[in-house]
Amino acid sequence: MKTYPIRKIHEHGPGVKSFYFDKDFEIRAGEFVNVWSPGVDEKPYSVSAVIDDMIEVSVKAYGPFSKDLMIKKIGDRLGLRGSFGHGFTLHDNALLIGGGIGIAPLRILAQELTAKGYRFVNLLGAAVAYEIIFASDFEKAGKTYFTTDDGSKGKKGLVTDDLTEIIENEKIEYIYAAGPEIMFVKVKEIIDPLNIPYEFCMERYMKCGIGICGQCCLDGSGIRLCVEGPVLKKEDIAQITELGMKHRDASGRRV
Amino acid sequence: MIKTRLLNFYLKSPLILASGILGLTASSMKRVIEFGAGAVTSKSFNKDWRTGHKNPSIVPFEHGMLNAVGLSNPGLDEMIKEIQLYKEECDTPIIASIFGRSIEEFGEVTRRTCEAEPDMIEVNISCPNVHSEFGQPFGDSCPDTAKIVQIVKEHAGNIPVAIKLGPHGPGIGVIAKVCEENGADAITAINTVGPGMLIDIDVQRPVLSNLTGGISGPAILPVAVKSVYEVYKNVKIPIIGTGGVTKPSDAIQMILAGSTAIGVGTAVYYEGIEVFRKLNEGIEKYLLEKGYKSIEQIRGAAHE
Ligand SMILES: Cc1cc2nc3c(=O)[nH]c(=O)nc-3n(C[C@H](O)[C@H](O)[C@H](O)COP(=O)(O)OP(=O)(O)OC[C@H]3O[C@@H](n4cnc5c(N)ncnc54)[C@H](O)[C@@H]3O)c2cc1C
Ligand SMILES: Cc1cc2nc3c(=O)[nH]c(=O)nc-3n(C[C@H](O)[C@H](O)[C@H](O)COP(=O)(O)O)c2cc1C
Ligand code: FES
Repeated sequence: MKTYPIRKIHEHGPGVKSFYFDKDFEIRAGEFVNVWSPGVDEKPYSVSAVIDDMIEVSVKAYGPFSKDLMIKKIGDRLGLRGSFGHGFTLHDNALLIGGGIGIAPLRILAQELTAKGYRFVNLLGAAVAYEIIFASDFEKAGKTYFTTDDGSKGKKGLVTDDLTEIIENEKIEYIYAAGPEIMFVKVKEIIDPLNIPYEFCMERYMKCGIGICGQCCLDGSGIRLCVEGPVLKKEDIAQITELGMKHRDASGRRV
Repeated sequence: MIKTRLLNFYLKSPLILASGILGLTASSMKRVIEFGAGAVTSKSFNKDWRTGHKNPSIVPFEHGMLNAVGLSNPGLDEMIKEIQLYKEECDTPIIASIFGRSIEEFGEVTRRTCEAEPDMIEVNISCPNVHSEFGQPFGDSCPDTAKIVQIVKEHAGNIPVAIKLGPHGPGIGVIAKVCEENGADAITAINTVGPGMLIDIDVQRPVLSNLTGGISGPAILPVAVKSVYEVYKNVKIPIIGTGGVTKPSDAIQMILAGSTAIGVGTAVYYEGIEVFRKLNEGIEKYLLEKGYKSIEQIRGAAHE
């Protein structure tokens, strides 16, 4: 296990923070790291950006582990294992759909698409304005639509409300999505009939992150989300028999 | 592929997925079969669900892996469903791995597990990473081992029973003999070795949340080969030789020491699930080059 001091912390809003560490290994958009807080726990987090030889991890305060991360200070050491998993493949004329903290892995995807010179459009939604992290970075990189539950940024509603129109008007040829599972279910319903290829960056309970324990295996194909995912293509998503259903917890029970 | 007979069933390959690796769900175990395993072993389960130890619980090091998953499992009812689902969709044998916190629980879990009609029941009495909760593994004591084998056999009906042993305690040959005398049909050897510990030198703390854990992977191959050799000398019942098998030559060593079948776990980390295909090919190549027709011809050959 290797530990790294936190170099910088950025607070996006109440309970949403980015942590920066020296970049010590190669990482591609969609891949993740296991973050170890000694004495607390170790959990998977997407890398949200690579900037100036630093990697950035963005965390939303949720339960015990993420709340504990919120009180970390510059210089505190955290373990980072990775990079793990398979990330996004890069395509031109894409739509990036992000929900809540799921916007994090799309930020590094946007960086990679920009570096390739590809055109892309963003559709980002969250509960409130400050949860749409990196909003101005996305706006600089491409045309960006926003939605919030309370209307505090962009249109009031969900990312799926105007999805069909945006895909048509923007001449979208590829779709990436990251966010809560319920969003995937709705997005899939809308885009499956349109015959557009897509990739989702998904989550399941993970322990090892290295394809051994079986905790993250998807019902249907048995694919290990920590190795073959977390980004899955349309064909692999089609085989999942538990999409949008109850997921397994640390014991393996569906809860 | 090399067909092998294990008790009353045939395996299309002598390689068996070891317990605790990709064995939580029917879909996952089915996928391992597609990569060439001859049978799969489920994650060990007991009566009630357990979340196990916090992370880090599985940490690779230079020569192997240290784990203290802590026997997390979704409990008997869920695992029975997964085994049934597996059996509906796959006709390659499945071994149900069970454990209990008390001798009585071993009996009860066995009785219920029979509902799922697994091809074999493997009894885990040798997990070294639940020490703070369970105390010394049952498998370190001859009287406890005898009682567990008896109660499991009593409830298992005609489903064969393998006892999974560790390299510790009064000597694996001695314990294996106790298992055989009390009716065990097979021995799985070995579980993880240790416990061991790794310390992070920057934060100056043990890496595993449980502080200690069992060692697996290449580091333990010599301990596993010696254990199988010892068991083979002491009993007539078949052995599932497990521990550190990563390369074809490792698997062949296990057969020469006396294994009927070979358990493969941690190698999935080093070689991917493809390890089953690679090992099958390697064993076949060895037999062909040496002019053998089956692995039976070399089983236990190191003893002669
Ligand atoms: C590949 C991947 C990438 C992720 N990227 C990010 C990210 O960029 N930013 C972010 O804030 N969060 C991310 N997460 C979620 C993160 O791992 C934690 O689950 C989350 O911070 C909540 O943990 P908690 O202990 O605070 O809350 P808890 O109350 O313990 O858990 C809340 C919920 O999170 C999920 N969860 C808890 N532990 C795990 C675990 N070990 N593995 C997977 N899911 C778990 C469960 O569904 C649980 O119900 C990612 C998860 C995965 C699998
Ligand atoms: C992550 C992990 C979890 C394990 N869980 C179990 C378990 O639940 N029951 C069991 O009998 N053995 C368990 N084991 C032990 C293995 O089945 C096997 O006996 C041991 O790892 C040695 O084989 P290997 O080197 O091929 O992995 C586990 C091993 C690992 C690495
Ligand atoms: S988290 Fe262990 S196999 Fe994916």
